[in-house]
Amino acid sequence: MNEYMIIGQYVPGNSFVHRIDPRTKITIIFFFVIFVFFANSVGSYGILTAFALITTFITRIPLKFILKGLTPVWFLIIFTFSLHLIVTKDGTVLFNLFGWEIYSGGVIQGVAISLRFFLLILFTSLLTLTTTPIEITDAIEDMLAPLNKIKFPVHELALMMSISLRFIPTLMQETEKISKAQSSRGVDFRTGPLKERIKAVVPLLVPLFVSAFKRAEELAMAMEARGYRGGEGRTKLRLLKIQSIDIWVYLLFTCVIIGLFLLRTY
Amino acid sequence: MQRSMQSSKLLKLIILSLLGTISLLLFFLNFPLPLLPDYLKVDFSDVPAIMASLIFSPLAGVVVVAIKNVLYLAIGGGEPVGVTANFLAGVLFAVPIGIIYHKFKSVKSIVSGLITGTIIMALGMGVFNYFVLLPAYSLVMGMEEMAIPSVKWWTVLGAILPFNVIKGIIIGILFVPLFIKMRRWIELQQAKFI
Repeated sequence: MNEYMIIGQYVPGNSFVHRIDPRTKITIIFFFVIFVFFANSVGSYGILTAFALITTFITRIPLKFILKGLTPVWFLIIFTFSLHLIVTKDGTVLFNLFGWEIYSGGVIQGVAISLRFFLLILFTSLLTLTTTPIEITDAIEDMLAPLNKIKFPVHELALMMSISLRFIPTLMQETEKISKAQSSRGVDFRTGPLKERIKAVVPLLVPLFVSAFKRAEELAMAMEARGYRGGEGRTKLRLLKIQSIDIWVYLLFTCVIIGLFLLRTY
Repeated sequence: MQRSMQSSKLLKLIILSLLGTISLLLFFLNFPLPLLPDYLKVDFSDVPAIMASLIFSPLAGVVVVAIKNVLYLAIGGGEPVGVTANFLAGVLFAVPIGIIYHKFKSVKSIVSGLITGTIIMALGMGVFNYFVLLPAYSLVMGMEEMAIPSVKWWTVLGAILPFNVIKGIIIGILFVPLFIKMRRWIELQQAKFI
């Protein structure tokens, strides 16, 4: 199970991007995803690409982590690009590839759509690369706070998410321990027919569920002993505060979007 | 031990969180199937959700699936579209099992629940892919060709339906013996929360 020991993308650091408020990051990414679809010229794609690449650069995250986040989509990008080469028949014929005529329109379309896809994935992955899951949870709790008015349990949701996150390493160790214990008793997880391998998971899950319920009881007791009584009037350990860098980020992003609309063709 | 209302609510909340964690961990232990494309992978992350929907209520199953998917997003495991699809599939699978089980409370009801859940999940995901996911994909990719009915039918019948049926069968192969082993324990937990 060692390869799963570190799950999640977060790369610790203290760059400018790391220090931006998570709410600001989520807001900017949300609008970036929308505005990517407005780009339709070399200039408008250029300004968005430059913005995304410069942001990526100042995170000072090693390239290999960023590329790792992109691996699942390489296939999709290449697939879309080749599909456009084959299907789109605009413009002039550029050259003949194994009997297929490649049109200039196909190349342009292919590059544009692949670039759009690349920008979407790169920019959204910056959130999880530079923000801890617990910060994202706090941000979600804060941004969903208006839903409290319609009785949506925002605090409970955030509490559940933080408890879940907290227990990922604990339960991972537990799973590893149980699977080793069962292996030593002769359970075989790796070989044999598919049906047997599926059934081998049963002796792994039974103790995992039972011990999770025990842990839950202990935690509930501990929380109540410390006076937990719901979200109302509860103060926070990690306070989110909008700082001057967030204002600057918003201003810069607004400039980029204005630039995008000036550079796109109508 | 008699618990106060407040106390059992908190305990339930924590149990669902931990089931969400288990679900997330099982999500990472997925295995690709022969004959199907690489991105269609089977995992057992729905098992804790089914457990929650048996012990508490179908809604608790929904909560566990939601926690798993939101956490998966927050740790940067996937993109929102795939996560939404996975959430929907989990809900369509776990809720019918819970509803049928709570009517009859027997091993037979688990089997018929698993079958019903598989059918509802496969049909639901087919509809979702046909009307939402594939059109949205073709829009993002700028490929109008992807949105014509024949291509969509081919994708749904050739990949989405068989994948979800196989997934349902595999989870069923695991869940029936798991339920038989844990039946007493599940009933014990139910008694604690009445």
